[in-house]
Amino acid sequence: MAVLVDITKCIGCEGCSVACKMYNGLDFKAKPRNIKDGHLELDDNRWTVIQEFHTANDSLRFVKKQCLHCLEPACASACFSKAIQKDEKTGAVVYYPDLCVGCRYCMVACPYSIPKYQWNEQFPQVAKCQMCEARLSKGDAPACVSACTTGALISGDRDELIKKAHEIIASDSRYVNHVYGEHEVGGSEWLYISDVPFEELGFKQVSDTPVTNYSKSYLSKVPFFAAGWALFLAGLTYYNHRVEKNKKNQDDENKDKED
Amino acid sequence: MTNKISRRKFLKVVAGSGVVGFGVMAAGCKGDPSGAQGWIPDQYQGKGDFPVNLKGRVAISQDNPSIERDDEKCILCGQCVEACKNVMGVYGNYPLPLKNEVACVGCGQCTIACPSGAITEKRNIQDVLAAIDDDSKHVVVQTAPATKVSLGEEFGMEPGASVGKKMVGALKEAGFDAVFDTCFSADLTIMEEASEFVHRLTKAKDEIPHLTSCCPGWVKYCEYFYPELMHNLSTCKSPQNMMGATIKSFYAEKKGIKPENIINVSIMPCTAKKFEVGREELQVDDQRDMDYVLTTRELAVLLKHKGIDLNTVAESEYDSVLGESTGAGKIFGATGGVTEAAVRTAYYFATGSNPPADLLSWQPVRGMKAVKEANATIPGVGTVNIAVCHGLENARQLLNGIKEHGSKWQFIEFMACPGGCIGGGGQPKSSVADIKQKRIAAIYKEDNSSAKRCSHDNTEIQSIYKEFYGKPLSEKAEKYLHTSFVNRHDRLF
Amino acid sequence: MKVKVYKCFRILGWDFTITPTRFVLTGLVALMAATVLLRLLTGFQFVTNLTDETPWGMWIAFDVMCGVALAGGGYSTALLVHMFRYKQCEVVARGALLTSLLGYILVMAGLFLDIGQWFNFWRPFVSWGYTSVLFEVFWCISMYTTILSLEFFEIITERVLVKKLHRHILKILPVLVVIGLVFPVLHQSSLGGLFLIMKEKMFPLWWSQFLPIYFLMSSFFVGSAMVCVETTLARTAYGHEIPHEIMLKLTRVGARIMLVYLLMKIYDLFSMDLWGYVFQGTLQSNMYCLEMLFGIIIPICIIISPLRKTRGGLLTYAWLTVLGVIFNRLNCVFTSMYESGSYFPGIGEIIVSAGLVSLGILIYCFLVENFNIIGNARAVQVKIDKDKDIKNLIWALLRTKRH
Repeated sequence: MAVLVDITKCIGCEGCSVACKMYNGLDFKAKPRNIKDGHLELDDNRWTVIQEFHTANDSLRFVKKQCLHCLEPACASACFSKAIQKDEKTGAVVYYPDLCVGCRYCMVACPYSIPKYQWNEQFPQVAKCQMCEARLSKGDAPACVSACTTGALISGDRDELIKKAHEIIASDSRYVNHVYGEHEVGGSEWLYISDVPFEELGFKQVSDTPVTNYSKSYLSKVPFFAAGWALFLAGLTYYNHRVEKNKKNQDDENKDKED
Repeated sequence: MTNKISRRKFLKVVAGSGVVGFGVMAAGCKGDPSGAQGWIPDQYQGKGDFPVNLKGRVAISQDNPSIERDDEKCILCGQCVEACKNVMGVYGNYPLPLKNEVACVGCGQCTIACPSGAITEKRNIQDVLAAIDDDSKHVVVQTAPATKVSLGEEFGMEPGASVGKKMVGALKEAGFDAVFDTCFSADLTIMEEASEFVHRLTKAKDEIPHLTSCCPGWVKYCEYFYPELMHNLSTCKSPQNMMGATIKSFYAEKKGIKPENIINVSIMPCTAKKFEVGREELQVDDQRDMDYVLTTRELAVLLKHKGIDLNTVAESEYDSVLGESTGAGKIFGATGGVTEAAVRTAYYFATGSNPPADLLSWQPVRGMKAVKEANATIPGVGTVNIAVCHGLENARQLLNGIKEHGSKWQFIEFMACPGGCIGGGGQPKSSVADIKQKRIAAIYKEDNSSAKRCSHDNTEIQSIYKEFYGKPLSEKAEKYLHTSFVNRHDRLF
Repeated sequence: MKVKVYKCFRILGWDFTITPTRFVLTGLVALMAATVLLRLLTGFQFVTNLTDETPWGMWIAFDVMCGVALAGGGYSTALLVHMFRYKQCEVVARGALLTSLLGYILVMAGLFLDIGQWFNFWRPFVSWGYTSVLFEVFWCISMYTTILSLEFFEIITERVLVKKLHRHILKILPVLVVIGLVFPVLHQSSLGGLFLIMKEKMFPLWWSQFLPIYFLMSSFFVGSAMVCVETTLARTAYGHEIPHEIMLKLTRVGARIMLVYLLMKIYDLFSMDLWGYVFQGTLQSNMYCLEMLFGIIIPICIIISPLRKTRGGLLTYAWLTVLGVIFNRLNCVFTSMYESGSYFPGIGEIIVSAGLVSLGILIYCFLVENFNIIGNARAVQVKIDKDKDIKNLIWALLRTKRH
């Protein structure tokens, strides 16, 4: 399941973020709005926010920010206790607090810095959009998508949405010819189209290579390296042992001879 | 920052985690994902593109001067969209993508519709209380006609209870230095607007149809959606701002107070007024006409905060110089009222005598019909075709018709809110079915019982023209009582 | 050499020396204990300055990243002594082993404090997130600490517990040494591997696909430098003299690795075309230049110049290398991701870090004074009446706290 965000259709009502808050039982009041560089930022009680941008040609655009649910999620790959897993059926990248140790490697690993942490809690957990995994598995749209009245959010099959996105771009010359999320760090379930260049809207410019590739290729070499190194060390120990023994024997022989 | 530490929770988590953890481990499962602990209204079940009755909410930008919303209280019921789209014709009537503004005329109908109190007027109670406590400031308050028939509801009175004099008493007790009546400046508006209308009818026919401009919600709507009709708008300021400008010039001079030491507060049934007072066009000699607007609801909160019960407070009279009013000024609060008041005085200006009885109780322009049509025959001028429209969605349809077929009316009154000011976005919330009719009836009852029914009969109006403004549309009147408009079309289109 | 003699208490046959410094250190440890309690009971809010922009703070960057790197002395010395038969260096091996073990235990303590749901620390043993580099680090560090403890047990059993056990441990020691050389190599490199996934976030000067190798190499050369620093400190404290030649021999091996490290770094600059970043004058590029100049280039110059023959020169090399590696680890965690937020450790974080280091020093001193670690055979020769039971050790340790 994927979601296509048409930035041109968003009027900034923030109904999506309220739907998210209501469905997930989040507490907006816990902290004041977290404004960073003039834009509302995600925090542990705001899994999705609407960021306001005044673009270079003086137009007002609203960008919905939440977890993009990567196809190759860095956070899930980084989690050493499998507390973040990509759901096979729905594609949602889901966090299981019971498994979480709290190392925060996911927060550091995420190329978009999406996961947030409950810093004020006694036993803090990670907080991020779950794409309403429970709703998705029932066949419902995520809460935010259901709440969108202007059609800025559409959910559906990822391939179909990508096709649709390209159709929209082809049919309207105002759109930028780029579907953000189609290839970014290996692609994501959330896709964006816009009439304003994505750089102006705070979208991070990332390469198409999934960041998990780097750690994967490293980890795939580790067992061979470890085995080789262990064998080498064992051999060396054996060799040293023999040298010692020979030396000892020789010493003994010498001693015997002397005697 | 809430401190979420409790011994119980600590022990529960530590002890529980071990047991649960090993259970989870043994069962090979991963526990529940986070989230999905809340509730969401029924219309949001199912796939996102299912058609539903009501859903979503309106966009309110952070710097909206009229209204604000507490996301914590919003339940996504969709009522605000209903009000904004179907009643006021704003939501969904501009193209996407947006240009550079979140469209809002500030009417505040969403604050009335919101069932959870999430959307409210942007409150100025603290500002006003601070001004009252500041001894260096002369705080002047004026009360709009529609608030006199609705404030009582906030104190448990019958819908339509007339509490004008009690409100004056309450405001004086609350510590305002002078209490004036917006009905007075409504009379002033009529003097100017009737003169302007007569002038347009006879000498400036391209500015016909004459469109009223005392409703700030409607004015902003016109600036947004019908900039080509802006020159048809009456250049008269709204009564509130005529009062404000007069206070900071005529009254200040008379009292010997520096205009910058005067704080002008108004009690309005309206949230759009909060936007209006910030307009740059409404400044004379770098002085804002008005400083703060309190809605009827805010006034009730303020009075209760001060421990003043409207039921028991002593009645009082408006202060003089700007306190006298006529029936014409009072009916400004209801749809059709401006028209009726203007016709009464236009008749006088044209003929030199007061209008006949049928024009003093002019039924065709009264009532809750969406678009009311009437014609008045004024000797010497001829027959004037008039339309009265309230509710901006109705206005949209009417104006689209005019754009296509031209106007058969010479005078059109527009009020943004259904029923006029008595149905304003700052009025008390009520579930009484015919609340608007009851308030309207109370307004006309006040008109009927007034000794004077026409604006030009107001002696204080006569003296202010004698002492200060000269005559309607004079140079001084143009400076203080007239304004201009801003084309806002390209902010949406 | 003159060594100032402090008052030494003998309790049940164990030596406890009290010096003013140790008194202060004990105070720090007590302060830390209180802070740790606060942290574990109330979460991060009152103790740390961590935010969503800087989720990893001093405890990870200093206590863990630097701690592990500095504890690299254990494996690098063991590798040289046991595998490549630098027999002369054997005198420093035990000291290096002890500092490594203490280092790792403190690293584990630091990690434990840094995890949010600390009661869940055992999860990765059960729920295998094998795609994570951290998973490998976690396992390796756990295993390695166990191995180190076993190796150190050999030293303990010299004095306490049955001598039979000591003989058993001696028998399996070669196996332990081999395993104990596999794990540190793996996790030292994997600590660098942790950063591989942050390609899109790190400043390009620090990110490289060779990061694991860089971390491994730097942990190796900082290991020998650290041993050098330690022995110098131990000399001041205990008059335990290590011949300059031996130290030089150790550090020269490290310096060779350092040279390769420098060449690889330069290769990186060419291959990824990063020279523009080096001299752009921003905070990141300046920090990078500082790190390379003082942490790598100057130490190399010292070691190839005649300065190496002086004690001071060698010590300068060692200190610069140690600080350079600390700087490198801090840069990787903070400077390279500076754009995402600014951070300064909270008072609680500093107290805990300082307390952990103090605790390490106190334990080190106690063990050194009571066991044959840096060549004070006296400790073992002392005849003790009741040395048959580990209970004595625990009992004695409990008593120390009261001073």
